Amino acid sequence: MDESIRQALIEIVGAQNYTNSLIDMVSFSYDASEHSGRPVCAVWVESAEQISKILQLANREKIPVVPRGAGTGLSGMAVPIKGGVVLDLTRMNKIVRISIEDRLAIVQPGVVYATLEKTLIPYGFFFPPDPASGKVSTLGGNVATNAGGLKGAKYGTTRDYVLGLQVVLPDGRIMKTGSKAMKSVSGYDLTRLFVGSEGTLGVVTEIILKINPKPTATSTALATFDELADAGSAINEIMYSGIIPSALEILGKETIIAINQNTDLNLPEVDAMILAEADGYTPEETDFQIKKIIAVFEKNHPKDVKLAENEKEVGELWAARKSAYGVLARIKTHFVLEDVTVPMTNIAPLLKGIQDISKKHQIQIATFGHAGDGNLHPQILYDGYDPDQVKRMEEATTDLFKLAIELDGTLTGEHGIGLSKAPFMTLEHDPVAMEIMRNVKKMFDPNNILNPGKMALEE
Amino acid sequence: MEIQGYNMPEELYYEENHFWVKEEGDFLVMGMDDFAQTMAGEIVYIQLPDDGKKLKLGKKFAKIESGKWLGKVYAPVNGEIASVNEELETNPGLVNDDCYGTGWIYKIKPNDKSEIENLIRGKEAIEKWLAADIEKYAEE
Amino acid sequence: MGKKYDFEEKYREQILQCSRCGFCQAVCPVYGATLRPALNAKGKMLLLKEVMDGKIDLNDELIETLFQCTTCANCFQNCPSGVPVMEIIKQVRKDMVSVGSCHPAFKGMNEVLKNHTNIYGENEPEDFERERNKKAEYVYFIGCVGSYREDESTMATLNLLDRLQVDYTLIDEVCCSGVLEDVGYEINDALAAKNIDRILHTGAKTVITGCPYCYRTFNNKAQYDQLLKEGIQVTHITQFLQDFDFGITTDKLVTYHDPCDLGRHCGIYEEPRNTIRKIATNFIELPANRENALCCGAGGGVRGAYAKNSIAMARRRLDQVEEVGADIVLTECNSCVHNLANARLRKQKFRIYNTTQFINELMEEAE
Repeated sequence: MDESIRQALIEIVGAQNYTNSLIDMVSFSYDASEHSGRPVCAVWVESAEQISKILQLANREKIPVVPRGAGTGLSGMAVPIKGGVVLDLTRMNKIVRISIEDRLAIVQPGVVYATLEKTLIPYGFFFPPDPASGKVSTLGGNVATNAGGLKGAKYGTTRDYVLGLQVVLPDGRIMKTGSKAMKSVSGYDLTRLFVGSEGTLGVVTEIILKINPKPTATSTALATFDELADAGSAINEIMYSGIIPSALEILGKETIIAINQNTDLNLPEVDAMILAEADGYTPEETDFQIKKIIAVFEKNHPKDVKLAENEKEVGELWAARKSAYGVLARIKTHFVLEDVTVPMTNIAPLLKGIQDISKKHQIQIATFGHAGDGNLHPQILYDGYDPDQVKRMEEATTDLFKLAIELDGTLTGEHGIGLSKAPFMTLEHDPVAMEIMRNVKKMFDPNNILNPGKMALEE
Repeated sequence: MEIQGYNMPEELYYEENHFWVKEEGDFLVMGMDDFAQTMAGEIVYIQLPDDGKKLKLGKKFAKIESGKWLGKVYAPVNGEIASVNEELETNPGLVNDDCYGTGWIYKIKPNDKSEIENLIRGKEAIEKWLAADIEKYAEE
Repeated sequence: MGKKYDFEEKYREQILQCSRCGFCQAVCPVYGATLRPALNAKGKMLLLKEVMDGKIDLNDELIETLFQCTTCANCFQNCPSGVPVMEIIKQVRKDMVSVGSCHPAFKGMNEVLKNHTNIYGENEPEDFERERNKKAEYVYFIGCVGSYREDESTMATLNLLDRLQVDYTLIDEVCCSGVLEDVGYEINDALAAKNIDRILHTGAKTVITGCPYCYRTFNNKAQYDQLLKEGIQVTHITQFLQDFDFGITTDKLVTYHDPCDLGRHCGIYEEPRNTIRKIATNFIELPANRENALCCGAGGGVRGAYAKNSIAMARRRLDQVEEVGADIVLTECNSCVHNLANARLRKQKFRIYNTTQFINELMEEAE
């Protein structure tokens, strides 16, 4: 890096917040995806003003800037694929204000999700989107990918809870979007443009989140199926119960086996297992709901259906589900975790389709996911040092995306496009939509310095 | 004045374990001298007792640590702690950076200020004392 | 294809198991205090993968992360991919030493223990006003930190043992040297032999130690096998004290910090609490306790090599003490006491003790 640029960065953030040492460059090359790219340096920033100065410098010198939170993204959004400067936002980690009367929490992007969750507990409130990475991912990252999580079906995703933002635009101008009022339709909805934009349109420096009172009671049920198809149709028919479960998760056989290796749960190793949760304010209420859900399971030839006994068991089951992708990583040297999402009526065909793809390409695919909103997580497991397996993984991935689109679905429900799905954007989006997206990017970032190379935004 | 590369201002009083003392109105200010801070290396912890803690001449009242060394601080006079340099709680390195200025450590309210006359004072005395200690530590 | 380093030979598959999920990042004390991803387990595994792929080499540039780890094992405990972080790091350090890249503090420690009896290289331990090497039922083994940095606490522990009329003796102890194995070297056989010899000489059937690290070393390391063979039991003082009654209590709000070496590494969680509950009517748990306890930052040699970060980690643990509003923090590890006490700010009015020290103080006050 040019010495003058290095000096300029140090002047903005201070020498102790600048690094180009090898060990930092390596860790900043990666997120949780299979991609990597070496940055030239990294800075820890502490204010919107610092970020503004850095982006102005980046525009003058045409240097890429890549914003980063916890680095746990699954599609490569935070990977500096074109080098440049990594902008680490984890030091901006204050919870600025909580207002229970206004039902909002104002946070800086570096606040870890679990920290906000813990802070809201004494108030009896929660922030409903519940990404499985919550103990480590940051709210800025959650906003950048419109994180979903286990409660998506009933409570929606991150974008449903962002009331407003403070953003630093790629040219350094600082802008506010949205309102602290619970609803507003004043002007264009700029907030929604940034949520899920994967750090390509601006750097979020403050987030106004809507928070909810937290239901105090839950009931959890477990159903196992010998036939994947039966599990699929059970999920399909959930809406007929009249109840939206607060969580509805599916685990495939490989996933169950891997979980058993990591815990003492000793889950039955069946083709499919569904975990359902109903929440409310009294045990009577949640029991009523869960029984309706159980009735749907019973109609679909389950092997076994049961109500979870106690809090400990419930805690263990959900902890096991949240560790699924990490646990599966034990099986082969490499993996690719997808999050294709389809309408509920197409879950059963998607599950079957995944099995077919696995057989066709002779490659292991473990599946789990948020059945409740049609968001499956097929995890393709392979030996990354075997070129033949790599090729089969690529072919399987392509088939998977084609299948999802055929089934009226989308490439990604919550992990984002980043690098992983960029080659497939045109499968899902028509040429007009692609052109509009690229124009929007050009309008915000004419020099293409903010997180370049992502989302197929470059032609 | 400089003695074998160590900065030892002549006008200060010195306690034999390498702490300097100077008058400031009715109080005494105390800190580490350049020789000690150099030998110690980067200071990481300085014990800062509560205000009002009684000091007995010659008795240990605090400790100071660097990565490799633990040092005891002895009271140069009878009295009590009036205040401490609170910056050192989060920035003990000030003692290394500026041991006679911003790295001052304790402010003492002496019972009898004249007790400082028993400390090492004056160019000749300082030179002799420091030269002996430089030799002593070189042997270890 | 021959593997270049032993760590790859032994742990290649396990390193590749790392799924980059970052669950380690959520609990790593070094990351928590510095917010530098290079320093947590994920950062270390990413580096090692690049070394195995031939992209970078083991050299001095990697010291800052490969030698900065308190060995608290919270990462391994939370890793869904089952990566045995501790074992990998220990082997990597040995490889680093073999290519001449080692943190000077640890290299220094290894050298010091060749010529001295303790990690500080000091020549005169406190005598604690007690005879050493007598014949007795128990040996009380203090450990280096207790002998040279926390003498007040040790004195109090010994006073307590006297009040309880325990028939014990001190010995001319030398460093158990267990720490050397964790930082790229090997246990010092000569020192181990001296300890064994002096223990056997007392005729004692049990060694009580206050240092969880010495406890682990005596119980698990081959160099101390002879103790087991001679039927000698090694117990930690919290296990020993469980069955005593002290006859005093305090109504101050007391909390307990689980030392990593006693807790996560040995599974000893309840014995210390049983003892504390006898003397404290008002006990509260810290938010991260037992197997989730937050490391004080002193372990794995970090206090010696990276003192500033070590104290910053201790401050984070003390934030939790403030959160629960405890008046007294008890623990039973001199390293923890030392680091936490150094980190305590003047405005924080709670006090930090080893349990034994605190009990002794209560008994002293009652007299």
